[in-house]
Amino acid sequence: MNELALISEAQKGDLDAFNTLILHYQDSVYNTALRILGDDDLAADAAQDAFISAFKSINSFRGGSFKAWLMRTVTNACYDELRRQKRRPTTPLEPDTDDGEELDSPRWLADPGMTPDQKAEADELEHAIQHCLNNLPMEFKTVVVMADLQGMDYTEVAVAVRVPLGTIKSRLARARLRLRECLQGFSELLPSAYRLEEESTA
Amino acid sequence: MNQRDLKLLSSYLDGQLSSSDSARLETRLRTDPNLRSVLQDLRSARSVLRQLPMRKAPRNFTLTPKMVGKNPPLPRAYPAFRFTSAMATLLLFVSFGLNFLRPQLASPSPAFGMGGGGAPDTFAAEAAPQAATEAPAAAESAAATQAPIEEPSVAMAPMSTMTIAAQEDTARAMETQSLKSGNAAEGSEPGLEQSLPAAPAEQPLVSSVWQWLLAAVALLSAFVMALMRQLSINRWRSKN
Repeated sequence: MNELALISEAQKGDLDAFNTLILHYQDSVYNTALRILGDDDLAADAAQDAFISAFKSINSFRGGSFKAWLMRTVTNACYDELRRQKRRPTTPLEPDTDDGEELDSPRWLADPGMTPDQKAEADELEHAIQHCLNNLPMEFKTVVVMADLQGMDYTEVAVAVRVPLGTIKSRLARARLRLRECLQGFSELLPSAYRLEEESTA
Repeated sequence: MNQRDLKLLSSYLDGQLSSSDSARLETRLRTDPNLRSVLQDLRSARSVLRQLPMRKAPRNFTLTPKMVGKNPPLPRAYPAFRFTSAMATLLLFVSFGLNFLRPQLASPSPAFGMGGGGAPDTFAAEAAPQAATEAPAAAESAAATQAPIEEPSVAMAPMSTMTIAAQEDTARAMETQSLKSGNAAEGSEPGLEQSLPAAPAEQPLVSSVWQWLLAAVALLSAFVMALMRQLSINRWRSKN
């Protein structure tokens, strides 16, 4: 895939060229939206909105990392989606305890019908991480998702989030520390993951 | 743990420190267990995050022209037809307006003929002695002059009626005078002259032929535009 040629064609209004780019990036864009929003349907809507918005403003792309530019678009779409959710609040999925507080464990998300050990473990790991991500402030979450989940380098993240490199470093460090603290609360749920980590660092 | 050290450790983990900064930090790490512990926490968090599976997009997010509000490309001649249609329509309306206003512009004094008196009567009274017995002939000539004028507009009808009323007054005056004098004096021309000036005022400024032509051009251009648009849409749909 010649990315630059496709971008150039898309800038001339060629929708087919842009759709080729979409097919290449749609998993990354969807996963970024999913981890920022924590909801499948909202993430799909945000990804679709991001691609529409990206096509309409493709002429504002002036070179550099196209992935970073696309990630900025999807981040904006996620912000819009969150604002919409705030205007139209829905019943939270997380069940409350008798005291009215949210359950601290994501165990409730596991489907009781699918409990082979491996599957349950993977699901719970994902749910635990997502739970901790959801508890992060938006600006921390965006940075950690791009750097650690999407594997983008600091410069790309800085371009996508439009903040200085130093701020990216600071946000990323604090986000990782907060996630570590949060995940420690799930150590019993995630024994294999932590075992692996301990083995690798031992 | 201060923010600066935290940032240094996180950057060190990602290999984002310069070699000299890395060397300094490694020296500190060897002697500071607290720093080692935080570095371990950061590494652990990053490692767990990287275990998150990449989900496949639930559907293709490819865009359709409708989603981005894209219109089919129209032929280059399309704007020319649009301009022609617009101009023809505009000129058609202007021609209607001019034809409507023409009688009012041609007779600046509404008192002329409207009151049934005024100038025509005065002229009639002056001309009467001369008109004498030829007056009916003069009236006939005036009528004959008016006859060839094609399609007087609806707006001109009152004017024609007024002119006819004035002519009838003139004829009556002539009849009375001829009964009194019985002279067959010369001078039927003045009677003819006074009825002639009304004739040009009744001619429309833009003839109906031009109006039909403009209407035809406007309609034809609009039809061609619609045809071009439809063909473009069909071609575009089959391509997409």
